[in-house]
Amino acid sequence: MLRITGGKVYDPANGIDGVVKDISIADGRIVAAVDGGRVIDARGMIVFPGGVDIHTHVAGAALNFARAMTPENHRQATAFLHTPERRAGLGGQTPTTFATGYLYAGMGYTTVVEAAVPILSAKHTHEELRDTPIVDKGCCVLMANNEIVLDLLEAGEIERAKEVVAWLIWAAKGYGVKAVNPGGVTAWKWGKDAKTLSEPVVGYSNVTPAKIIASLAHIVDQLGLPHPLHLHCNNLGVPGNVATTLETMKVLEGNRAHMAHLQFHSYGGADWHTMRSEAAAIAEYFNAHPNLTCDAGAILFGNAVTITADGPWQHLLHQLTGKKWGNLDVENETGCGIVPYTYKGSNLVNAVQWAVGLELLLLIDDPWRVFLTTDHPNGACFWRYPEIIHLLMHADVRRERVKKLPAKAQSRTTLGDLDREYSLLDIATITSAGPARALGLANKGRLGIGADADLAIYNEKPDGELLFRYPRYVIKGGEIVVEEGEIRKMSEGREFIVQPTYDGAIEEYLRPLFQQYYTMSFENYPVELERLEGADVRQLDGHG
Amino acid sequence: MITLTLKERTAVPLEAESLSPDVTANLSCDAVRALPVLLGKHPYRVDEFFDVEGEAGDELAIRGDAGNVKWIGRGMTRGKIAVEGNAGMHLGAYMKGGTIEVSANASDWVGAEMSGGSIHIHGNAGGQIGAGYRGSPKGMTGGTVIVDGAAGLEVGMRMRRGIIVVRGPVRDFAGLQMKGGSIFLLGGAELRTGAWMIRGTIVTLKEVPLLPTFAHDYDGNPVFMRLMARHLQALGISIPCEPHEGTYQCHSGDSAVPGRGEILVWRPVG
Amino acid sequence: MGGKVTCTLGEIKNRADFIVYWGGNPAECHPRHFTKYTLTQKGKFVPNGRKDRTMVLVDIRETPSARAADIFLQIKPGKDFEILTTLRALVKGHRVNEASVAETGLSIEQLRDLADRMKQARFGVIFFGMGLSMTRGKHMNSAAVLMLAAELNAFTKFVTMPMRGHGNVTGSDMVMRWSTGYPFGVSLCRGYPRFNPGEFSTVDLLVRGDVDAALVLGADPGATMPQPGIDHLARIPTIVLDPKVTHTSRLARVHITTAATGISAPGTVYRMDEIPLPLRPALVSPYPTDEEVIRRIREAVAKKPAWAQRPAAMAPTN
Repeated sequence: MLRITGGKVYDPANGIDGVVKDISIADGRIVAAVDGGRVIDARGMIVFPGGVDIHTHVAGAALNFARAMTPENHRQATAFLHTPERRAGLGGQTPTTFATGYLYAGMGYTTVVEAAVPILSAKHTHEELRDTPIVDKGCCVLMANNEIVLDLLEAGEIERAKEVVAWLIWAAKGYGVKAVNPGGVTAWKWGKDAKTLSEPVVGYSNVTPAKIIASLAHIVDQLGLPHPLHLHCNNLGVPGNVATTLETMKVLEGNRAHMAHLQFHSYGGADWHTMRSEAAAIAEYFNAHPNLTCDAGAILFGNAVTITADGPWQHLLHQLTGKKWGNLDVENETGCGIVPYTYKGSNLVNAVQWAVGLELLLLIDDPWRVFLTTDHPNGACFWRYPEIIHLLMHADVRRERVKKLPAKAQSRTTLGDLDREYSLLDIATITSAGPARALGLANKGRLGIGADADLAIYNEKPDGELLFRYPRYVIKGGEIVVEEGEIRKMSEGREFIVQPTYDGAIEEYLRPLFQQYYTMSFENYPVELERLEGADVRQLDGHG
Repeated sequence: MITLTLKERTAVPLEAESLSPDVTANLSCDAVRALPVLLGKHPYRVDEFFDVEGEAGDELAIRGDAGNVKWIGRGMTRGKIAVEGNAGMHLGAYMKGGTIEVSANASDWVGAEMSGGSIHIHGNAGGQIGAGYRGSPKGMTGGTVIVDGAAGLEVGMRMRRGIIVVRGPVRDFAGLQMKGGSIFLLGGAELRTGAWMIRGTIVTLKEVPLLPTFAHDYDGNPVFMRLMARHLQALGISIPCEPHEGTYQCHSGDSAVPGRGEILVWRPVG
Repeated sequence: MGGKVTCTLGEIKNRADFIVYWGGNPAECHPRHFTKYTLTQKGKFVPNGRKDRTMVLVDIRETPSARAADIFLQIKPGKDFEILTTLRALVKGHRVNEASVAETGLSIEQLRDLADRMKQARFGVIFFGMGLSMTRGKHMNSAAVLMLAAELNAFTKFVTMPMRGHGNVTGSDMVMRWSTGYPFGVSLCRGYPRFNPGEFSTVDLLVRGDVDAALVLGADPGATMPQPGIDHLARIPTIVLDPKVTHTSRLARVHITTAATGISAPGTVYRMDEIPLPLRPALVSPYPTDEEVIRRIREAVAKKPAWAQRPAAMAPTN
């Protein structure tokens, strides 16, 4: 039992905006009142629902590949020393699993969604998530280049495709469905890409990226998944991709969708020299279409590691930069590419990218539909979120930074003209309440009675440090996990999983295909539920 | 000057980056005695392994067989370390300035990723002199390393600037992925010298086998060799450069990268 | 510079029309590789199986694998790095010194032909074995294959994969990476992970005598290490966990017999392409599993006082 008294509470889900009120906790939940237990005196502090990261890459084959590729980054990373309470690890661009838990919790985040999970290696992802302490977790499963699904779309068998998608989600023990560069990753297996939405994907005659997007969004809604289709659009990172992104959003009309790392998809211009921000055009369309949510995918200057299932983009980036390149194609399903990257303020392209991320966060009106992310570790490391929050809350700081950009870059963005400043309530919305709602996690991102007792408590006026960087207390599931900047308890998080309804007969359809195309026996493909620790299974009854 | 005398060679390596003038300069002898070193996983005090004498200053002398003592002079920026005996791995790694002199042998990673200062090994050295640590984009970016004896693998791996001189023979992959700077091999090298080099110069006074991806460019006595010879003369190293003594056969490569590095092989007259 | 371009084995089964084995003898060392993944399988985009694929074997001697190959290239020992580096240049159309090519055992025509075939492949792969990665040049030989394959992607689709074996070496590599950031050669002496192959890799630690105790799990270094390393294992307290008597267990101070993983103990094994597979035991063993033994050792160790009393002294700064 625990009581937090005297803090200013920010709880957007309940319309509470900086009201001083007590919060009582018992059995891991927020309750009306408790009798006895510890009391935290939170006077001079602000109380937030624990952060929810809707899009991050913290576990699995691709990230583990990146770790092996970048020992030079690890040598400069924050070292987590082994103690009786804590495992050893490294922070940096691609933190080790234990360090990932400590770093998220140490920033006040208590729920994270690993955004790109191949089914074939999902066992590996879950093994890593099991070694990621404190935070609760969920997975988005890669589907938009799954050739069994694509073959069904080619044949016009949308009903069977839906059964297959449902089966695959459960096989991977996933929470949502992710689409990355629909059709483009499949094409990459022949060294090609999918650059337009309306042309057939390499190897198909009826399947276009548009068809994949529309079909998957429809299937996800039909299955009643709590989180809509989680979409990484075609043409990521390419100047002029605003046209593709707008066209994609039109294709999504009538369905829900979450547009991932929208910053990387909001560029105008014809090439790298003429690249400019089109955040305003994207935001205008987005504001008028409430079926959509998005996360920023903002970048910050400094070192990053780009990791994405978007193989062709990564090969291009490798050729442009001459940096190391890792590529891992996953049979019949997806792929991934890895290129370490440094964003520089003096570079025109990087400067525009930096501005676009902030512009989107400021130009999209509704904080319930745009969420704070850096597409970790692609745009910046997640542990740098407080730097972005600082920029969102202070227009003057932004303007000073804009002035330091190359003159050409300044003329390609409107960031310096934007006066909007985020309030604390807005910050609580984009970091917690909003993403929790978009994920359909009813007990996260709020501080009302019955909610999970995940809270972060910060000094209202931190002494010379960025607000939100070092919480005074972080409470996860009712336990104090961080106190005075130190990890105090290494609790285990839960994993959220959905079990959609499907006809068991679909296995008889899949089995022979599987034996033909895969190199693993069908029985070994699904992730065993026992493999997961703290599985929190939600059964869905939606069936068409 | 502070003098540290190793009482006996430890069974497992001792990690002692606190043995640097930057750390000891303003410390009393007692404070130096209390500095931390690590034996395996356990932290200890310096005086549990060394007899410490003398007064604070910019100079440090280490006596005894310190072949198992790692990280001496790590990141030092000034002053002098004289090792009278052997030195362990990573001697002078990340060094920015000052000098290190070793009377006997040093191990691997001498001057790794150093950016300035000079290191002189009177005996043999191990591999990876002036190299970049695994995964790093570049090795040493400045400074000088001189080895009077032989050296090991990957000498000057990914170095960007600076000078490495080895009087004795070196093993494979000297100048691997070199990006700039100069390596002088007075005693020649084994295989794959200059493999994957991008830029930079390797001068060898003995014949070395060349990769097929190096092409013969010209024979001659380039002016820059004369300048180099004068610079090295000041360091006590003589390099031939006069036409009456012989010529340099210059090869460019590595065309696999493709790179524009040079390997100059000395051909004495007669 | 650096990195790796690879895929899972099913990609090769479904797509590869050009398969190179380099410094390995799959016919004898990975006997099911040809039939399960590479040569004879009919794949989605290579419907005629063996007929749709070309296989090249590069090795220093004619092993039984040569019988399976369309092209066998016999090279001189220790020339792998030279040949791979030459191929990198040829693929990109850069000049090479033809006189020194001859020393590799292959002619310039053979190398040009190989480079052309690689570029003309629709989907190519190089599998490389210990004949490459454990001979003179070692990690740089592997790096040369990785670079060649990566650069070929400017022309066509090309990937590479090491032919790993020896139990679950890939699995160990994976767990080390997510828990320490590094795949092998990791030291935790300072309370956090540090990486330096050559300094912290097992063979180097043992050969130099830098460790004063050893725990051996799932390996038999007593059979494979250089003699000074074996001598050191015999000198120090060595503990072996193994279902059977091994070269190492014979020289060890303690041998704990454990259940054989995959036969009588469950677990997860990672394939050479880093895909995990569940192991389902068929038999019951009277012996504890490796995991159980390690867990009990850890519990006993945890009762001792923590060793890192002065953490501030532990972390150096660059």
